[in-house]
Amino acid sequence: MYLILSSILFPILAGLFLLVRYRTPLSGEKPVDRQSLTAMAGCSLIITAIFVIAALFAEKGFTLFYLAQSLPIYFRVDSVGRIFSLLAVIVIPCAGFFSFEYMKHEEHESRYYGFYLLVFGVFNALCFAGNLITFYLFFELLTMSSMPLVLHNGSKEAVMAGLKYLFYSLCGAYAALFGIYFLYRNCGSLTFTVVDGALRASAITEHGGFLLVVAFVMLLGFGVKAGMFPMHAWLPTAHPVAPAPASAVLSAVIVKAGVLATIRVLGMFGTDFLKGTWVQTAWLCLTLVTVFMGSLLAYREPVLKKRLAYSTVSQLSYILFGLAVMNDTSFTGSLLHVLAHGFIKAALFLCAGAIIYRTGKTRVEEMRGIGKEMPVTMWCFTIASLGLIGIPPTGGFISKWFLALGSLNSGIPVFDVLGPVILLVSALLTAGYLLPLSIHGFFPGADYDYGSLQKREPCKLMTMPISILTFLSVLIGVFPFLIIVVIYLAATGR
Amino acid sequence: MNFICNFPFFSILLSLFSGTICSVLPAKAAKVVNRVVIIVIGLMSAVLLLYLLSTGESFIYWMGHFPAPWGNEIRAGVLEAGMALFFCIIMYLSMAGGAHKLPGEVVESKHNLYYILVNLLLSSLLALVYTNDMFTAYVFVEINTISACGLIMIRQVGRTIEAAVRYMIMSLLGSGLLLFGLCIMYDLTGHLLMSNIKESVGLLIANGEYQIPLIVSVALMCIGLCIKSALFPFHAWLPDAYGYSTVSSAAILSSLVSKGYIFLLIKIIYRVIGFDIFNSTRIIDVLFVFGLMGMIFGSLSAIKENDIRRMIAFSSVAQIGYIYMGFGMGTQAGMVASIFHILSHAATKSLLFIAAIGLTDVSGGSHKFIDLTGAAYRNKWAGAAFTVGSLSMVGIPLFSGFISKLLFAQAAVQVEGKMLASLIVLGISTVLNAVYFMKTVIRIYAYAPDAPYKGITFRDMKAYAVVLVCFILLNVILGVSSQPIVDMIGQGLAMFA
Repeated sequence: MYLILSSILFPILAGLFLLVRYRTPLSGEKPVDRQSLTAMAGCSLIITAIFVIAALFAEKGFTLFYLAQSLPIYFRVDSVGRIFSLLAVIVIPCAGFFSFEYMKHEEHESRYYGFYLLVFGVFNALCFAGNLITFYLFFELLTMSSMPLVLHNGSKEAVMAGLKYLFYSLCGAYAALFGIYFLYRNCGSLTFTVVDGALRASAITEHGGFLLVVAFVMLLGFGVKAGMFPMHAWLPTAHPVAPAPASAVLSAVIVKAGVLATIRVLGMFGTDFLKGTWVQTAWLCLTLVTVFMGSLLAYREPVLKKRLAYSTVSQLSYILFGLAVMNDTSFTGSLLHVLAHGFIKAALFLCAGAIIYRTGKTRVEEMRGIGKEMPVTMWCFTIASLGLIGIPPTGGFISKWFLALGSLNSGIPVFDVLGPVILLVSALLTAGYLLPLSIHGFFPGADYDYGSLQKREPCKLMTMPISILTFLSVLIGVFPFLIIVVIYLAATGR
Repeated sequence: MNFICNFPFFSILLSLFSGTICSVLPAKAAKVVNRVVIIVIGLMSAVLLLYLLSTGESFIYWMGHFPAPWGNEIRAGVLEAGMALFFCIIMYLSMAGGAHKLPGEVVESKHNLYYILVNLLLSSLLALVYTNDMFTAYVFVEINTISACGLIMIRQVGRTIEAAVRYMIMSLLGSGLLLFGLCIMYDLTGHLLMSNIKESVGLLIANGEYQIPLIVSVALMCIGLCIKSALFPFHAWLPDAYGYSTVSSAAILSSLVSKGYIFLLIKIIYRVIGFDIFNSTRIIDVLFVFGLMGMIFGSLSAIKENDIRRMIAFSSVAQIGYIYMGFGMGTQAGMVASIFHILSHAATKSLLFIAAIGLTDVSGGSHKFIDLTGAAYRNKWAGAAFTVGSLSMVGIPLFSGFISKLLFAQAAVQVEGKMLASLIVLGISTVLNAVYFMKTVIRIYAYAPDAPYKGITFRDMKAYAVVLVCFILLNVILGVSSQPIVDMIGQGLAMFA
């Protein structure tokens, strides 16, 4: 109990402490002591990570307090939660260490680190939430605490993006809350189950049709956070305006809250209840549309960070597609892709950040020859890109393999074949929008002025996190079995 | 009769007479008297509440020992005592939070007049809460109006006079309608005591006599109180009255005065007409629709507003809409949600008004958003408090606003015909609330290094900061441990019947 609680409270308190202790000085006050700030933030990240890893092995759930009658704030660690918090505990500290260097050229560092730690704590709480109301509480808090990361640089564009993020998320969260009211009436309890559903049998027979609507609204609502069409527009606006390490966390970790939410909702309703209904069909359609559209938009996008954000839209719907197919194989694929996409996308965004930090270049066509200047960064970028496309032996291949396999075995008419086809087309598009960067980066062509090349490799503090994330993305492709075992446990509800 | 049973009577008289005494005291002493009286009444209400919770029964107190139907009566149950206690807490915090602004807002010679008005206001509120007699209620409604007008007008700058006149006209219209309703009711039943009227109304309904006059009378009373509590189409007086009066007045007016009338309406619904009879009329549908419209249009007006005080004032219109929506559902659960929202809104709105003044003070006194940029860095406490208030208004869990939203939704789910409308409008209104409150929060936390205003530190505003902390705590307590309060409300409503 104390481990779970400290993995949630420690980063939140540390974040608040940083916000208060090192707040941006007014005119005439002493500037913030940058060294002690980064030291504090770094220590807090490491300590939190240790707490989280220890908490992963916690077995027993506990109720913290009652929000209202029969609405307990309840925490429990289960297999699904473990996978998501495993992702967070690797990506967030990595990106955090990256930002110690990166944030040198941005202002208001204390605010950044403060909210960064808040996000870490809230995301842990989200993973460990044991019932829907606790989950909803931290889902809202996640939006609130991550919004300052989006509008960090304070420009008008960033503030508008932050507000857009806020409104989309609130709309989505409200749609989900709407569903929670009904679940509250029709379920025995709001505690999560994984496969069998918590609906009362009488409720299904009496208002089955209505409950389907509720399920669809909830999936749409939580889908907003995961950037699912038609409520995806906030994502390509909000993610690129944040500082690069924050974009990495937003794209790799925070959007996964929407995926986790979807898994929880599926668990509440039970896959047996939803299988073969119009909800499943509509949901499959939406995810496939998003997969295709996201890739297409990314392909047309000239600004690198925006391109990566569109790619997030597309890749997240891979995961959602796997969930919508609703069988064990595709579920395994989805969870593997949660990890694979998390590591890969974080690495890609950090690479983009390193390029911006060292050269100030943001558009893809400016980046010719970049591989000659920053070889380590670009090698990592290339490997991660291959992973996202799904070329063996990277993590992306394994997850997509399972996704396609699950879809083909599902026996859903039309979609069982259409799904893998669209996934393949989208993978081609992914290759189309990521590989040119590496190709022109390493082979700028004969007409390129090689004399202007300088050595611009960033310092170890930046390259190390990128390398670690890239390495992990390959590692889960080479040795997927350990994770598959955990995921299998999650899929079967243990 | 237990000595504690005198407490409601004592509270009303104490505040009434302390108001009179204030008129001959110097301003400083009047301030002390005012504070002490609020604390004493708060303590008495707390004791009374504990006593009522332990006995589990309400009691009726004869004024002057004349038995019904001739004598005047006071009635106290859990809900009344709890409301009185809550009103005292908010009143005290609002007065303390605005105290440092008073010398700048009101001329020195009128300070004790200010405290007279506050004391009178408190006594009328308490009387509205405790009375069991319709005519007494009417008298104190008028006293309430007069003192509220005084509180608006006492800050004599341009628009407050206009605001006060507007408030006066609208308010008198409201009390006029209430009086009409009352007269018709008296004509029909021959009684002024609530319990007696209820008996006669029950008989009239059972015999099927005078149906239309009865409905007209109920409708007149409802509309009268709706005007006075600024339900949506009758809210025109509100933004100016709240936007330009002194801080404490704004906080008190928005969180207490309108709530006093709403509480009177609840009493009329339960104690005069009878809950079931009231629900069988079409009036609840009208209240429901007005409530829903208020929730949306109040927020829309708030979004358009460029003045932080007026924005908060318009948000009151939306919140009052929530309360009437709860009435309109016509169920016990809806009523509980409304009463909880009375508490939650009172705690939040006064917090917002008090916090806003801290922000405008460090922005050259300007209410315009453009000047408020970065104000939260210049006054950290006010910034934090405003953020808490905003989050509560948006309905983020852990704050009081979420619980009322939850209660409303749970109530709505049980009412077949009104479920979808309430839930959808609740959703829209939540998002609209988020639009203007989060916009403001971002604005006050935007970094403005070249703003020409000076910051303020904890040392310069200890009392103010303490008040803000109390408000924040109140909000969090309502949000985190709502169950005992909800239970108490349920118990109080059960005592009404």
